[in-house]
Amino acid sequence: MARTSTARRRTGTIIAFSLMLLGSLTMVLPFLWMLSTSLKESRLVFDFPPQWIPDPVDWANYVEVWDIVPLATGLRNSLIVTVLVVVIGTLSSTMAAFAFAKLDFPHKHAIFVGLLATIMVPISVLIIPQFLLYVEIGWIDTLLPLIVAGLLGNVTMIFFLRQYMLGLATELLDAAKLDGAGYLRIYWSIFLPLCKPAIAANVIIVFMATWNDYLAPLIFTNSSDNATVQLVIASFSAYYQEQTDFPMVMTASIIAIVPVVVLFAAAQKYFVDSFAFSGIKG
Amino acid sequence: MTTTTTTKRASSMRRHEKIWGLVFVTPISLLVILFSFIPVGIAIFAGFTNWNGLSGRRDFIGLDNFAELLTDKYFWIASGNTVVMLLPIPVYLIFGILFALGSHRGTPGSTVFRVLFFLPYISSIVALVVLWKWIFNYQYGLVNQGLTLIGVQGPDWLGDPAWIKTTIVIMIAWKMIGITSIYILAALKNIPGVYYEAARIDGASTLRQFFQITLPMLTPAIFFLTIVGIIGSLQTFVEVQLFTSDGGRNYSAATIIYYIWQKAFHDNELGLASAAAFFFALVILGVTLSQFRLSRRWVFEGE
Repeated sequence: MARTSTARRRTGTIIAFSLMLLGSLTMVLPFLWMLSTSLKESRLVFDFPPQWIPDPVDWANYVEVWDIVPLATGLRNSLIVTVLVVVIGTLSSTMAAFAFAKLDFPHKHAIFVGLLATIMVPISVLIIPQFLLYVEIGWIDTLLPLIVAGLLGNVTMIFFLRQYMLGLATELLDAAKLDGAGYLRIYWSIFLPLCKPAIAANVIIVFMATWNDYLAPLIFTNSSDNATVQLVIASFSAYYQEQTDFPMVMTASIIAIVPVVVLFAAAQKYFVDSFAFSGIKG
Repeated sequence: MTTTTTTKRASSMRRHEKIWGLVFVTPISLLVILFSFIPVGIAIFAGFTNWNGLSGRRDFIGLDNFAELLTDKYFWIASGNTVVMLLPIPVYLIFGILFALGSHRGTPGSTVFRVLFFLPYISSIVALVVLWKWIFNYQYGLVNQGLTLIGVQGPDWLGDPAWIKTTIVIMIAWKMIGITSIYILAALKNIPGVYYEAARIDGASTLRQFFQITLPMLTPAIFFLTIVGIIGSLQTFVEVQLFTSDGGRNYSAATIIYYIWQKAFHDNELGLASAAAFFFALVILGVTLSQFRLSRRWVFEGE
């Protein structure tokens, strides 16, 4: 009896493992094909049956791509936008989260409900009036629309961090007050360090969303000087895919996804935890 | 003496608390006012005008935009296509649940598999579409070459009006499985083990345990994912714009947001586009609210 149940469990594990392996291959093979294509000489791309390991391995695309595509400009713009939004936006968000979680101030509830209401408004509805607004103040075709809104914080992140801070003991705040610490210091030297895991998770999410964003740059910028890396890849690939220069297109795309993949690999644990946490408990 | 100082300090501390509280929430309040409330106001106003962004004329034309919208054939094609974009939701929910169940029972390699399942989700949509255009290329793509090996002539995934929506649906489902399974896995971990012990004592089969315990306990997570999924799917745009750039042959892939984008930024019909956006926001609100109402029938509320 016990023996059959162990055997059954083992069969179950083998089936589950096989299916999960198959699923993982479905997720990864396209990316391996991307890498493989980027390392091929153009003439080998259309070989049939397809060649998974290029012979010879040709790194030339990774050198040439910088001359053909304005990739450096795109990466620079994306880096400027992303770093500013992540660093300053995180400060704004954590400050607001701290106030909502631990301080008492006039109209606190009304302001919080106001924030909540904005989550219900689809971004696609805001994009036209935001465009009209930016036309009026001369921000179209600058990086400002991509930066300024992000600097002021992120409503979803505030909810998440507030929830996290509510879980921290209020005695900490009272003790610090008795010691005569100001609120700015309490926020900076007590609450910020305590929230590190939650902040780390959010930094990754905001980094990813900002770096990968295509909609806002598409609508608010138009010259190549102000293009983010996603715009550069999109317009370049539209042209080169018609020329069927797939190795070059794949090379450029790989360069664009590398920063996020590296960050994800480095902080995988925070990342997975944060999604689980923000979704179910937040 | 000491008491008065303490009281004084306490009251000054309270005043400071009020000031600092307001200071701390100022940036986000500015954000919400400048980039959400004011734009929403502009959008509602613009929807009732003939604003075209060029001449600077903004005459009030009442409900004309809405009337034009409802008689525009392309608006209805786009609406139909938008409904099709809901199809990935059941697909990624089912595969996400299966994957989470596998992870949860401690199948070897789960941690590595989980990272791999996340790869499509973290990659930019631009890179993904570029990759899919290559893999699903009619002549040289990996998919059709593979199909040739088993003697099937693959369709024109990207050009054929009958297939382009399918291609987009498959891609979105593929991208979302990883993140879905993470949410489900978190929910699985929250199910108390005593339920299963009780079921085992009663001699309930594994399958029975899944349908009587696991699935009902997962309904809150499934509900959350469905709501977020519907709101997201109804707003499908970037994929369409990147895959087709013109909405596909015969407008076969264009969604409502694509329609709005085209009206606003190609045809400069900002008034009409704003009316469509406003109308669409109401639809999304209505769908969300009715989902909450329907949820009472199937979502487990807990004790």
